[in-house]
Amino acid sequence: MNLLLAEDDALLADALQQQLLNASFKVEWAENGAVAEYLLRKQDFDVAILDLGLPMVDGLTVLKRVREAGRTLPILVLTALDALEHRVTGLQAGADDYLTKPFDFPELEARLHALMRRGRPASQAQQLRKLTLDRAARRANIGGEPVELSPREWALLDLLVTERDHVVTKAQIVAAWGADEGGSIEVYIHRLRRKLEGSGLAVRTVRGLGYLLEATVQ
Amino acid sequence: MNGRSLHRQLLLWLLLPQVVLWLVAAFGAYRLASRHADELVDASLLQAARALARQIKPTASGFFVDLPPSAQDILAADPEDRVMYRVSSPPDQVRLGDARLPPPSQPAPLGEPVFYDATVPEPMRVVSLDLHLGAPGAVDSTLRVQVARASAPRDLLARRMLLDTALPLSILIALMSLGVWAGIRKGLKPLAELQAQMEGRRADALDPVELRAAPPEVGALAGALNELLGQVQQSLNTQRRFISDAAHQLRTPLAGLKSQTELALEAATDPALRQRLERVHESAVRSARLVSQLLVLARTDPEAVAAQEWALVDCDQLVREVAAEWVPRALAAGCDLGVDIVDAGQRVQGVELLLREALVNLIDNAVRYAGRGATITVRLRRAGDDVWMDVEDNGPGLAPELRAQAFERFVRGSALGEGCGLGLAIVREIVERHGGSAELRPAAPHGCIARLTLPPS
Repeated sequence: MNLLLAEDDALLADALQQQLLNASFKVEWAENGAVAEYLLRKQDFDVAILDLGLPMVDGLTVLKRVREAGRTLPILVLTALDALEHRVTGLQAGADDYLTKPFDFPELEARLHALMRRGRPASQAQQLRKLTLDRAARRANIGGEPVELSPREWALLDLLVTERDHVVTKAQIVAAWGADEGGSIEVYIHRLRRKLEGSGLAVRTVRGLGYLLEATVQ
Repeated sequence: MNGRSLHRQLLLWLLLPQVVLWLVAAFGAYRLASRHADELVDASLLQAARALARQIKPTASGFFVDLPPSAQDILAADPEDRVMYRVSSPPDQVRLGDARLPPPSQPAPLGEPVFYDATVPEPMRVVSLDLHLGAPGAVDSTLRVQVARASAPRDLLARRMLLDTALPLSILIALMSLGVWAGIRKGLKPLAELQAQMEGRRADALDPVELRAAPPEVGALAGALNELLGQVQQSLNTQRRFISDAAHQLRTPLAGLKSQTELALEAATDPALRQRLERVHESAVRSARLVSQLLVLARTDPEAVAAQEWALVDCDQLVREVAAEWVPRALAAGCDLGVDIVDAGQRVQGVELLLREALVNLIDNAVRYAGRGATITVRLRRAGDDVWMDVEDNGPGLAPELRAQAFERFVRGSALGEGCGLGLAIVREIVERHGGSAELRPAAPHGCIARLTLPPS
């Protein structure tokens, strides 16, 4: 995965490069706005991290020019500013996501993956612990053993896996089902829990909010 | 306040000289009155003495006093007004009248009257008149005529004259004092208004003072005050901007420091080195958090809050979103975080970004201090007209003496963790800007409830 990192602070850029490398990204570093703009126009990247406070040409201008040049790659804006208006300006200028410094690297990584996923069809197979999800065939198996899932159970599991480690609300489940049958959610969760036994995954109830798929302690 | 009030001082300085002058005038009037009374009495005494002297006819052997009843009547005119007389010749030998009347202390030339006071036994005014007795060849030809009259009526007269002058003067003084008092009150009213305006304002209210129809002196004072308030406001703004700029500038190097230490931690195998690196990392994280909090604090200043977007905030949604965002972190810390919407559909007027920050701080605190295995519940309910946003945990709770103190800046509940001691101060600032309040209460059987009370929309 090719990534452009436009960040002028050498210390941060150096650490980020290493961390991104460890997360199997191929990183190109631009230390000012002019270089970032040039690289973004001339080369193909899967994703870009753009600091707003860049020297020579500031990040917001780079963002506008790159979008005007018709580049559609996902861009995550990184900044030391965090006021609401800056966030809005950044997103209006064509940023796909926004993260304020300092940040946790796992969060940055998760957002980068989410951005790239958004650009690609979600038809690939996904492996999570012992659970394998084949979205194209709408099939799931645990440790090679196929799991029988009804369309509602499938939609529920798909949603939980996509949002894993994050809360899935009842409203989200109802929306995924495409029908207002909120009353039967608990029944389906109960069934899904039984079918996920032995997968290394568990559905946790979050009081008053919804459900969350997490890895069980082994 | 030091010193006497202006009102009292003015009253004192206006009335004290008046009273002194009044006393002097009254004393002077009394003296004048008593002198006039003396003169009147003396004149009548002298008249009586001369009249008496005229009745004395010299004879060869001495003299003869022809005192007809009419003259005696004159001498004893008033039974209250006691009159005494004495005729003597030579001066030390009484020929007629009351021997008790004393002679004058100093003999006067012939024909000149001497007035003096004597006590025989009551106080009396005496006139003594020495005359030459007409008979030639007489052994002693000096005749002394003395007439005395009780002083009491004279004193009475003087007193009455005093009263007649002092009484109207006193009424005048009283009326004038009243006038002065009312005048001072009216004159000082703009000052009292200024005082009321200054006392009634919040410590951080720096808007200019406004006075209706102030006299130039007070107007100038108010003007100077407004100028000062303006300067304070300006320097506060500068300071706020500085904090905000500094915080922004600090974010990038802190992010670098944090990332570098994380990398170093991944590579380090030596446990002693790891321990040190963990400390560095913890410190970097805490500094980063402090910087963020400082930024939020700069944003919670009254002007900054007023400049932000106020809207109707859906409390249900706010609580659900913030809690959902925090569930992964709470789970990582071993806490069970949940939501309990007791009364749905609550809305408040406010800045969503700030209310979110307040709630985040409370949940962050609960996760930080309640400890592993704790249950944390974000509860939304209506209490009367207010909206309560509670974050309840069943952790060890907080000592009562720490509860109120916890809202002060840079007070930390424990030396553990990454808390920077600004969280609850920020929470309080934010809810107070929204016309609400924040408090910490004990939970049953143990734990802590952090409660935000917000006025409804």
